Amino acid sequence: MTWSNIKWVFLREMRDQLRDRRTLFTIAVLPLLLYPLLGMGFLQVAQFSRDHPTTILILGDDALPASPRLIVREEGTPEDGRFADEFCEQKVARLLELKIRKQRSAADLGQAREAVRTGEFDALVYFAPDFGKKLDAFRARLLKRSPSSSSTDRLDRSAEQDAVDLAELAVPEPQIFVNTASDKSRIARDRVERILRSWRESIVQDNLEKNDIPVAATRPFGLVNTDVARERSRRAAVWSKILPFVVLIWALTGAFYPAVDLCAGEKERGTLETLLCSPAQRSEIVFGKLLTIMAFSMATSLLNLLSMGMTGVFIISQLNRLGPGAMQVMMGPPPLGSMGWIVLALVPISALFSALSLAIAAFARSSKEGQYYLMPLLMITLPLMMLPMLPTVELDPGTSLIPVTGMMLLLRSLMEGQYLESLRYALPVIGITAICCLLAVRWAIEQFNNEAVLFRESERWDLGLWIRHVVRDRAETPSLAEAIFCGVMLLMIRFFASFLVGMPDGWSRFATTTVVTLIAFIAAPALLMTVVLTRSPRKTLLLRMPRPAAIPMAVLLAIVIHPVGVALAEGVRWLYPFSNDMLEQLEGVTGLIADAPGIWSLLVVLALAPAICEELAFRGFILSGMRHMGHKWAAIFASAVFFGATHGILQQSITACAVGAVIGYLAIQTGSLLPGILFHFVYNSLTLLMATTIPEWADQHPAFRWLYSTGPEGLMYNLPVLLAGGLLAAAALMWFRSLPSESSPEESLQDALDHQTAQPALK
Amino acid sequence: MIKVRELTKAYSDLRRGPFVALASISFEAQAGQIYGLLGPNGAGKTTALRILSTVLQPTDGSAHVNGFDVLTQPSLVRRQIGFVSANTAIYDRMTGWEMVEYFGHLHGIEPEPLRARMESIFTRLQMNETRDVLGGKMSTGMRQKVSIARAIVHDPPVLIFDEATAGLDVLVARALLSTVDELRDQGKCIVFSTHIMREAERLCDRIAILHRGHFLAEGTLAELLEQHQEPDLEELFFRLISDHDSASEKQLVAS
Repeated sequence: MTWSNIKWVFLREMRDQLRDRRTLFTIAVLPLLLYPLLGMGFLQVAQFSRDHPTTILILGDDALPASPRLIVREEGTPEDGRFADEFCEQKVARLLELKIRKQRSAADLGQAREAVRTGEFDALVYFAPDFGKKLDAFRARLLKRSPSSSSTDRLDRSAEQDAVDLAELAVPEPQIFVNTASDKSRIARDRVERILRSWRESIVQDNLEKNDIPVAATRPFGLVNTDVARERSRRAAVWSKILPFVVLIWALTGAFYPAVDLCAGEKERGTLETLLCSPAQRSEIVFGKLLTIMAFSMATSLLNLLSMGMTGVFIISQLNRLGPGAMQVMMGPPPLGSMGWIVLALVPISALFSALSLAIAAFARSSKEGQYYLMPLLMITLPLMMLPMLPTVELDPGTSLIPVTGMMLLLRSLMEGQYLESLRYALPVIGITAICCLLAVRWAIEQFNNEAVLFRESERWDLGLWIRHVVRDRAETPSLAEAIFCGVMLLMIRFFASFLVGMPDGWSRFATTTVVTLIAFIAAPALLMTVVLTRSPRKTLLLRMPRPAAIPMAVLLAIVIHPVGVALAEGVRWLYPFSNDMLEQLEGVTGLIADAPGIWSLLVVLALAPAICEELAFRGFILSGMRHMGHKWAAIFASAVFFGATHGILQQSITACAVGAVIGYLAIQTGSLLPGILFHFVYNSLTLLMATTIPEWADQHPAFRWLYSTGPEGLMYNLPVLLAGGLLAAAALMWFRSLPSESSPEESLQDALDHQTAQPALK
Repeated sequence: MIKVRELTKAYSDLRRGPFVALASISFEAQAGQIYGLLGPNGAGKTTALRILSTVLQPTDGSAHVNGFDVLTQPSLVRRQIGFVSANTAIYDRMTGWEMVEYFGHLHGIEPEPLRARMESIFTRLQMNETRDVLGGKMSTGMRQKVSIARAIVHDPPVLIFDEATAGLDVLVARALLSTVDELRDQGKCIVFSTHIMREAERLCDRIAILHRGHFLAEGTLAELLEQHQEPDLEELFFRLISDHDSASEKQLVAS
């Protein structure tokens, strides 16, 4: 790879994009005009926005007590009225139109409710005919027990008796009927509720006065909040939640559209083939284009930020001028330091989004097809951007390892001035972003090397033709698309089955459910697809004997790698701790396992059955199909991801994914499913034994203490055992590496491409 | 210059399923020679030339350009060739000069020699009027000249023309053919694919008739006509293709 070629590709693409009026408009002109225009619109709309009046129906006002008076009737018009001034501010009173009706029969309430439902009234306040009487009785009861009442009365009744009587007295309840499907109705409800609370407050005060209790008695202590945050930090805290999201979303959008033009657009215009015939290597073309996309991604993001910030500051100042208040405290202009951090964080994040967009855009046949891929890309990245906005999500070892989320959280903590915390997590965040970037770039280069992607032509899709193609043109092993389809289908079946099956209540039901689920929902679909979609079930499911030594080696590997697996699971649990609900569920499963009649039944249900069924599906059908990708490790990883994902719980999925990768490697190196099945069986058996029988053995036989010690999470391998296990596992894997493995045609071709000779510089 | 041995390319699509676009073809082309690939649409001409230009990879067999292998030394192969086809378009938002200069840069030519070479090419191809015109605003003739200039800017020993006259009017096509002729005279090895008989007859030193991925005949024009006892290339072409099609049909019925 030569930098001069990358530079020439970059310069050309930049010039090309800068000469495109549409790109310039979207990247530079639109953000500069959009926000001021939106701001102007917002201010204009704000002038017109006002509180809408709401109509309230009061039913049964004759049941209300005379004092304190809640409703004042207008003279002359018997149906009109208003809430008494002392409970309703004039500003609110103007927005409330009251219609007052007496309740003549029980049917009146039904009609009134219907009137709220149909929208004739926004809310109904109903006072039952006995409302006044109940309220009076309640107040009278209070008076009887007051210290100012006659002392003989007081002596007759104990304090406890008073309390019981009061509790038994029915508290009158005015009812508010609201139509929650209508915003206006909900606003009316809120307004009325405030007024009724104020009225109740007045009755409480009155009661207290009559009982000679000072009003202050209801407030034995006050609450004082003191904000110790500096004004700068307060502003940073507000902006640190908004700006990272804005920056990231624009970085993605700004990367995607140029990427589509630079890849799919070039394919469409026929210039890509011209470029591919030039001496520039695919990687040089990809990096040149990547730098261009990055430049546009960063420019879009920064220009949007600038324009939005300036418009925002202007609008805030305008709003503050209209009415000073909370707004000024909440939203000052963003501190300048924050902007510096944003610009710095924009570089890796733009690189990641640009590489992703480039790879996706390279896959598209045309610009139009490219546009369709924006939505899936957003669907994947948006949750990662939204996650940090949840109030409880903070930068910790777990979140720092999530791509995009970690970067957003790091940016937030930098903007909030928490430099020490940021420094602690900067390395994992940057590391994971860099890894994702490299993978995305690698994927993009792959796309540029993949002639099926570069010269894909639009074919008329026809269901009949397609079914005929799938059946007629069956290959020996499944295609990549069929393998992905199988993986996705198994995931979906597992998802829906988990709702159908539920939590069994005893061991025998648990055992039956587990085995039936494994056979019906994992093995059967994979076997069915093997029979229907492939010509060679033997080759697809790797049904052949490995070399004899591979069998004991697989068993040995499972034993020596188990301490590493347990340590990994422990590490994952430390990074992403189980929630309390999940712990309860897991305890339920542990309880069921404890009910198992014997260790053998446990091993058959939870070790042998998964080993056979899951291996047939994941290392059989799915891995065979994935090998058409042309990369052994990508195939292993993809099948392991599906294997991990079917475990359902994130923490278990990560560990299962790692174990799945090891089994996938065994399957490819030995060309047989058997070592994988044995490994899986032994590995699961060891895990089960550690949870059930080994603790008992450890008590009885001191030799076990060399291997295990009891930690807070149960039995753990001792550190020397872990280290020795790791070393032996590495040695065993090296032995598997030395086996002559068979490559798929795609892998052989890729191997040849990977060993292409680099060109000498032309003098 | 070009050595192709049992070159095979297989594809799969929805309509045809797996099919062979090139079935073990072999040929050699020398410097100062125009090698013609003659065949109807879908014969495999573009596939063969895309493999030679390293844009596609062969399923089997080998191809060497000036001694470099297309699969393992693609970058070196691309330095040896200039590729012009109906599919190799020019950039709409670059002028003729910028476009040729860009490819000169990618070939690693230093600015001064590049400038001198471009001046000479622009004069020789009479395309100075394209210097400051954006690709999107060029006529078909101008675009074709820029394409050729782009392909020869690094003075490659091998030139590949894939249906380069397709869609051109008579005047432009004639100019292109005379340029190809001139390039042969300069000692370049040229592979020229076409489905137009007269072009092949007029230009090519050796001709291969390609149909459904198979070479039906290969040799100089005189050799071909003598061997198959046909009066002209067109008659020979039709006979070979219809013989091949009927043989394939018989084979299909028999199977």
